[in-house]
Amino acid sequence: MSGPSTLNVQLSTRPQFPWRIVDVIVAGIFIYAGAIKTLDPVQFASDIDNYKIVPWPVSVVLAFYLPWLEIFCGFALVVRLLYRGALSISTALILTFTFATVAAKVRGLDITCGCFGHASQHWSFPAHLATNLGILAALLALWVSNRSAKPL
Amino acid sequence: MTSSLVRQALILAALALLPGVGEAIYFRHKISWQSAIPPSELVTVAQAHAWGENVIWVDARPDEEFAHDHVPGALSLNEDRWNELLPQFLAVWSPGRKIVVYCSSLSCNASLEIAVRLRKEAQLPDVFVLEGGWEAWLKRK
Repeated sequence: MSGPSTLNVQLSTRPQFPWRIVDVIVAGIFIYAGAIKTLDPVQFASDIDNYKIVPWPVSVVLAFYLPWLEIFCGFALVVRLLYRGALSISTALILTFTFATVAAKVRGLDITCGCFGHASQHWSFPAHLATNLGILAALLALWVSNRSAKPL
Repeated sequence: MTSSLVRQALILAALALLPGVGEAIYFRHKISWQSAIPPSELVTVAQAHAWGENVIWVDARPDEEFAHDHVPGALSLNEDRWNELLPQFLAVWSPGRKIVVYCSSLSCNASLEIAVRLRKEAQLPDVFVLEGGWEAWLKRK
């Protein structure tokens, strides 16, 4: 028989469940995107350089650093450790990637996004933008859900 | 709460630094810190001209741009029709000939990608990327 305390626990954890799924999906995307880029940092540096936003040496530094940042943020979202820090970095990363994508399109650059290594090599601009905005929407939803819930 | 958020973000940023540095050390001989294309793989229009008939020009731009205009004698070989066009290219290629790949301009990366595929997949030597691409060719002309 369920007592009042059990009921409270059930009521407080039940709304969390859908958000945990979103956590895991977003985390999976970040971990996959990071892992695939760590395998070929030379290609990723070239992909960053194609955006013509930062000089080549900075592209190289970012190519070695960003994938690991994505991976660590992904794991932090899954295990809910340093959760808000991971959410803030992930959101900043997605906003930066989206801005870079739009800026490249506006400047007429014919480039591959490099977001998911070779898997995204032939993505069109709308597909690329839609993916980024979808992830951004999921992250914003996690921010909203997290305002009222304490991290586990 | 804000300070906690910043602290968490800084911890994550610092943690990611460690494997990043490790990977940079591991790949130190495979990447140039000076240029996306190693200088040894880049060629100017003047240098390519100097090679004369020993050069096979490869146009990595889309078909419509190639159809509009291209370097005299150039062969079209782009990502979209790689499988279809590669055999035609290989029929013309012979050992000892240098391959110069170009795309639209400095900002395009199609020439770099085709050059990499020619080296890795077709295993051809002496593959170069034209500095400045088609725009540089037009200026030179």
